[in-house]
Amino acid sequence: MAAGGPRRCRRLEGEAARAVLANADTLLFDCDGVLWRGEAAVSGAAAVLGKLAAAGKRLCYVTNNSGRTRAAYTEKLRRLGFPPAEPRHIFSSAFCAARYLRQALPPGAAAYVLGSAALAAELEAVGIPHLGPGPAALPGPAPADWLQAPLEPAVRAVLVGFDEHFSYAKLCQALRYLLRGPDCLLVGTNRDHRLPLEGGAGIPGTGCLVKAVETAAQREAFIVGKPNRFMFDCVAAEFPVDPARTIMVGDRLDTDILMGNSCGLTTLLTLSGVTALDEVRGCQDSGCAARHSLVPDYYVDSLADLLPALGE
Amino acid sequence: MASCRRLSGAGLREVLGPAQGLLFDCDGVLWAGERAVPGAPELLERLRRSGKAALFVSNNSRRSVAELERRFSRLGFRGVRAEHVFSSALCSALFLRQRLLGGGGNGSGAGRVFVLGGEGLRGEVRDAGLRLAGEGEPAPGEPVRAVLVGYDDQFTFAKLAQACGYLRDPQCLLVATDPDPWHPLSDGQRTPGTGSLTAAVETASGRKALVVGKPNTYMFDCIVERFGVDPSRTLMVGDRLETDILFGKNCGLSTILTLTGVSRLEEAQAYMASDSAAAKDLVPNYYVDSIADLIPGLDE
Repeated sequence: MAAGGPRRCRRLEGEAARAVLANADTLLFDCDGVLWRGEAAVSGAAAVLGKLAAAGKRLCYVTNNSGRTRAAYTEKLRRLGFPPAEPRHIFSSAFCAARYLRQALPPGAAAYVLGSAALAAELEAVGIPHLGPGPAALPGPAPADWLQAPLEPAVRAVLVGFDEHFSYAKLCQALRYLLRGPDCLLVGTNRDHRLPLEGGAGIPGTGCLVKAVETAAQREAFIVGKPNRFMFDCVAAEFPVDPARTIMVGDRLDTDILMGNSCGLTTLLTLSGVTALDEVRGCQDSGCAARHSLVPDYYVDSLADLLPALGE
Repeated sequence: MASCRRLSGAGLREVLGPAQGLLFDCDGVLWAGERAVPGAPELLERLRRSGKAALFVSNNSRRSVAELERRFSRLGFRGVRAEHVFSSALCSALFLRQRLLGGGGNGSGAGRVFVLGGEGLRGEVRDAGLRLAGEGEPAPGEPVRAVLVGYDDQFTFAKLAQACGYLRDPQCLLVATDPDPWHPLSDGQRTPGTGSLTAAVETASGRKALVVGKPNTYMFDCIVERFGVDPSRTLMVGDRLETDILFGKNCGLSTILTLTGVSRLEEAQAYMASDSAAAKDLVPNYYVDSIADLIPGLDE
């Protein structure tokens, strides 16, 4: 990013767009609302990424979504016409949570997981034993029964991701593990409140489940996902990225842009997702330093706007 | 600031003598699980004989007051009637009746209530004259006007999503029976409380819940409306600093912490030593090891 001064959220076009893209070696893309919405690619996005790849840029994908494996993401990118990506380019909160636990847990320690089969698969891939995904396996109908069920001795972490099978019974189990010993970790994949669906509706996001567990246990979770910097650290551990030559592209101020700004990256907001421009102006005009840190360097209406800058 | 003095000897008579009545929390004060606290039934009997009122105010939203009346009797407490018991289930129903029905009238046109909770809570809402979402065919113009979050051991992601759907209407109220994050069990384990479920609904909907239970004062308003108590002559007895003692402070009552439940004396002392004004509101005026210790303060 340009040295010094507040970020100005300028429209990225013309000569500035050519220069900014030429100066970057690596681009990190959020996915939902940037590359695609549901199963529909954002028009022009695949063409832009194709040109960036042809120009030798490194493309990585950084998503808070914990519901898919990295293999599933490479398949979705292929299906929607994006340049080929290997799993090592995909940084989902599920993959990064597994990496975090591999670092943080002693060998042989297990995780109790409130999450999807994909999250379980990522733990499997790094050799962390786990239990929990899917509907709760209840030894009886009432809480009194559940509380008598034996606990797995090897569990040293509770991991909370997106869990459509979340229930009071699972919350109970999570609380039991967290209270069993002071060194049981509490980790959440991300804090997103909602997963937007087509047409403005949404379903509750992982952040709600993390808050339920934090409240019951009266402690704070370590959050793997954006805006915390752990996911960027995972990228930097895999590839030799230089923050000064890296662009973070996202549609959400309080996750994508905040992480990019915190890590010293150049940040580019696309308006093809959840954020409207007047939200940014509101942050700029506020007297509040925390809200200033949500302001990106640049914006575009959608990735397609970058096509002219990559034309030659 | 309250000074957290042990209540004993002459102090007992000084404090209990002038009191017209006592408000008791239930779990951890009168009983723990299925066992009455030793001496608790005798204390209530002695209060009755001394002509002092005993009323009960509980954040537990699982049981209807009718069930609680039977529980008092089963655990050896004599003479406690449903009308003396103010549970968060009952008071949440009264609150919703006020807000949706204007305190009277029949249920039609008021809208329905989506309840996250068990049969005890659902029964109290029905008894208040309200209709529950998911029961019977909705009449035209009968949208869901309130989401009520209580203790729900059948809470699921699907119900969370359903609640959020209703809350997209800004006219739909979000109400919680109580803020308790967890409850203790007799074997030392803990079970998640309404507070943890409310946190999920608040996060998903972007709304703040109106919390009926302690430490908020609505339940005291219900008590005053029914029995007209004088706060300056009423003592609040509880086991949880963050709910019971703060509730007493908020309602202008002197407070007694009993150590048979959730809070430890060291926690009260830590709040007393804290610099924060908010912490000082959690310090009880007095404490006892158990409410049986109050018996010598009453006339023979």
